[in-house]
Amino acid sequence: MRSKLIYIIFAVAVLMAAILLAICLAETVPDAGGRAHAEIPGLQVGGDGAARLQYIGPLAFIFQCLLLIQIALLSLLGVAERYRTSELLAYMGGTLAITLFIAWKMFSGHSAFLDTGETGYFMGFPTATAWQTYGTWLGAIPLILIYSFGFNKFFYTKEDEEKFNALLAEKANKLSEAKNPDRAT
Amino acid sequence: MEAFRQEIIIGAVVGYMIFCVLTGLWAMRRTHNSSDFFIAGRGLGPIVVSLALFSSTLSGFGFVGGPGLVYSIGVSSFWMVVISSCGYALGFYLVAKRIRMIAELRDCISLPDIVAARYGSEAVRFMIAITIVLGVMGYLATQILAMAVVMQAILSGTEAFANVGLVTCVVISSAVLIFYCVTGGIIASVYTDVVQGSIMIVAGTLILFTAMNVFDGGIQEATSIILADDYETVMPYGAAGIMASLGWFFVFGLGLAGQPHLITKMMMNKNIRDNRSILPMSLFGYVMAALLWISIGIVMRAAVIDGVVDPLALPDDAASVFLSVFTNPLLAGIVFAGLFAAIMSTSDAFLNIGTAAIIHDIPKAIRGKSIENELFWARVVTVLLAIVAASFALYSHFRDATLVALLGAFGWGTFAASIFPVVAVGLNWKEATVAGAVTAIGTALTINFGSQLAGITFPYGVSGQLVAFVSSMVLFIGVSLVTKKPVLDNDIKLMMDI
Repeated sequence: MRSKLIYIIFAVAVLMAAILLAICLAETVPDAGGRAHAEIPGLQVGGDGAARLQYIGPLAFIFQCLLLIQIALLSLLGVAERYRTSELLAYMGGTLAITLFIAWKMFSGHSAFLDTGETGYFMGFPTATAWQTYGTWLGAIPLILIYSFGFNKFFYTKEDEEKFNALLAEKANKLSEAKNPDRAT
Repeated sequence: MEAFRQEIIIGAVVGYMIFCVLTGLWAMRRTHNSSDFFIAGRGLGPIVVSLALFSSTLSGFGFVGGPGLVYSIGVSSFWMVVISSCGYALGFYLVAKRIRMIAELRDCISLPDIVAARYGSEAVRFMIAITIVLGVMGYLATQILAMAVVMQAILSGTEAFANVGLVTCVVISSAVLIFYCVTGGIIASVYTDVVQGSIMIVAGTLILFTAMNVFDGGIQEATSIILADDYETVMPYGAAGIMASLGWFFVFGLGLAGQPHLITKMMMNKNIRDNRSILPMSLFGYVMAALLWISIGIVMRAAVIDGVVDPLALPDDAASVFLSVFTNPLLAGIVFAGLFAAIMSTSDAFLNIGTAAIIHDIPKAIRGKSIENELFWARVVTVLLAIVAASFALYSHFRDATLVALLGAFGWGTFAASIFPVVAVGLNWKEATVAGAVTAIGTALTINFGSQLAGITFPYGVSGQLVAFVSSMVLFIGVSLVTKKPVLDNDIKLMMDI
């Protein structure tokens, strides 16, 4: 898995670079990055949301999904190869599915609002924004839980601790020998 | 109580500064060598590391610039905050365990030490050290200036100090910062961070409840007012648009694991297993403190649109106007102390890593050994670095903002693009090569600095930082794959197997 994993991460990074290039080369629309508020200095407005997504909407959404996939892949890279068990892969896959679902609810909710001009509210924010604010924040919580509760199983087992202590002992021996060459055997 | 608003605020800030000075004196007795000065001898507990980690993440920008950004561009800037859970997770998955292990295995006291051990290359050490020094100058200058501007605003509200100058405020605030950093090094820094972090959590929570009560209909009424004025501002991608938002998602999400002032703190915990509790505690602290960022910005934008408050002279005034209009003096005192805490906790972290780069890493990269009597020189350079940064800040304010703006380009995004691939990926992938690392750092610096110098902008709000980060990731892996596999030192190889 390790030898393949870095290639997958590389492929995703290249795809993201290609999409970024495509977005930069896409036909532009006025005020795609916002414009000054007509009456209140210091405020920016977004203006016509549908026009801003006309040429790049799907590309941008794919970029967002690739980023979420990359975060999951990089998280997996941080786990030693022997601990990338089917159990861990299932947890990671589940986390990725949750984050992709949240991204889709956010994007589709925004598109639906642009079509209808109507929105519900959840905990103070328009529904699509609530998915962004609460969903993005909470969507990665499974990653935190996997780390905290799975630390002794996937990240630093007793066996790992023994190996690391052995490395430290070896270093201490070498230092001791360097200081007292007569004691070296 | 309202009649004594300024006095209460000044009292809170002065009380906080006295605490910093006393902590410096206490920590001085525990600082015996350069390892104590730079990484607290790797002896810190999980609560201290957690609070130090999150309070260094949320600088003065989070208390001043953050609410200002929400006021100005709406939900776009939420992305910097809501991605924190991914950012912290990646930082711990990729960096925390390995950086702590290498630090102990090779007696590393700085991030350039870590990369030199991992890659066996003084060139990589040198490039990371130079990137850190440049970034530190920009960050420190802006933090010191922000601290002085806020202090001037507070003091000028009183009769006795009505005409206090900015230079005086720079001198006072820098003197306190320098004192506790020089005397107590990182030990003073992290223990002040504990109090700083606690103040920030309390401030963030109280401000959220205050903000929820500004409008009868709570936050929903505020967002409805904004939506009626310009719906895009309060939709998921905000006024700045989808690519600006996703750019922040990328740079702040992945980039946290590339911030030297944060990942250096991951070297300081006593026990590797503490990481399992440090991660959730850091994230909790950050989220609670960041509530201030979101709630003030949203409420102030709605209040201005609704005519409750006059338009602000500058977006960055959002927090201070909110505090003066909507909060009682005691809460304002806590939040202003929290603001100084946020600025100082980030500044002391930068002073520490900048000093390490100058007295430890650059000499080591050039001469093959660090300088004699590191602890003495660490204290001298800490003073000099703070003075130079304060001078930059004043020069920028009174003469020409270009210099600090250029150095400011070496901020979060440049650290993320330069350091994330080399450290976060490189510590977990044995085939990463020196050529890959040098190419990635060079590319990140060139694109960030070049686009800033040439004034290059990309369409759809795509940032130069995003372009730099994506490019450095691709080149780091790509160049490493096509260059000769490195031969790692045996201890590093075994450590990377763990």
